Amino acid sequence: MAGSMKAVKLRIKSVQSTMQITKAMQLVAASKLRKAKERADASKPYLETMLGTLTDIANSNTDFQSPFTKAAENEKWLYVVIAGDRGLAGGYNSNLFKFMEQETKGRDNVTVLPIGKKSVEYFKHRNVPLFTEEYAEVAKVNISDCFQVAKLICEAYKSGEFGHIFLCYTNFISMLSQVPTAASLLPLSDLRSEDLKSDGKARDLILYEPDSETVFNAIVPEYLAGILYSSINISYASELAARRTAMEAATDNAEEMIDTLSLYYNRARQASITQEITEIVAGAES
Amino acid sequence: MSSYHLQVVSMDGLDFDGEVQKLLLRTIDGDVEILARHTDYCTAIGMGTARVTMEDGTERKAACIGGMLSVLKGEVKVFPTTWEWSEDIDIERAKAAKAKAEERLSDQLLDKEARVRAEAKLYRALVRLGSTGHQDREK
Repeated sequence: MAGSMKAVKLRIKSVQSTMQITKAMQLVAASKLRKAKERADASKPYLETMLGTLTDIANSNTDFQSPFTKAAENEKWLYVVIAGDRGLAGGYNSNLFKFMEQETKGRDNVTVLPIGKKSVEYFKHRNVPLFTEEYAEVAKVNISDCFQVAKLICEAYKSGEFGHIFLCYTNFISMLSQVPTAASLLPLSDLRSEDLKSDGKARDLILYEPDSETVFNAIVPEYLAGILYSSINISYASELAARRTAMEAATDNAEEMIDTLSLYYNRARQASITQEITEIVAGAES
Repeated sequence: MSSYHLQVVSMDGLDFDGEVQKLLLRTIDGDVEILARHTDYCTAIGMGTARVTMEDGTERKAACIGGMLSVLKGEVKVFPTTWEWSEDIDIERAKAAKAKAEERLSDQLLDKEARVRAEAKLYRALVRLGSTGHQDREK
């Protein structure tokens, strides 16, 4: 009995120290989350209206002079995957990678541009070719980095290195739900709604000034940079929210464990006292 | 004068969402003014002062740099890289940035990339100053 009591006491201590860590991580994530959520909320309208407008433009576009609007020339895919830098964020990273796996099923010419350390590690481990590893730390990526990435992607796309550009990020729905999402970035014809792809319905014409090629050449790098920046902001908020939820659950579990263990410990202690008394009484009577 | 719905969405959030009469801004191809019932239109934005005429006829100015302008089915959307209302611009800071960029550009030994960057900084500072009315255009 005495041996098991000591083991229980040690276990309580170890659970307590784990709880301290999870509690601290929860608080840190919560305080960072407030700022990140503000940024994500500010970025959201840009991402949504921009994608919406470009889908509309792609739907009614009849001009295919610009390399960015032409239908894809080859079946090579570039995925920009935005994950976290660190683990212990519940299913944040693994959900995204699982989603990614489903997305890329049946496509064998996939290259990845990972953003976030976990993303780099994962794709390296799986021997997926990486486009560049320069943007490994998602927390350090700023707006001018986004412009650089956008420029890199544009150049690679124009030279025919890739036929399709996709973006994989985690959308921030609410504090409790974050959903992995993929969006097509280039060519713009990929953005077309499915039902419009086949029918030959007359489209509304758009006036481009000075001409569509110049316009798209000027717009696309900025559009990519903007989309990247806002989706990084949103992903970062998702990561923190996921971490906060996961750590909250872990803290709750630890508390529960401590309760059960101390109950068990107290029972054992009482049992040993009772036994001792019984022994003493028995000794005195004999 | 009839008005239309304008949205200005930059990476920092929704800068404007409401009814306006006119929007004048500088595209890569020169100044363009959008009135109500404009045809579907798409262009890239240059660097310059944007003037927005509100429903009640008052005019607001903003420094607008880069991005795109689209008109689709009467909905006008501006996606600028930066959009700063003239009243939000820190004039002293813009002046300091201008002075600093000019100083850098006067250095003959500056390499090409740094020169391009300094020039871009100078233009941005000039656009900011221009949209607040502090126009001292030596360039």
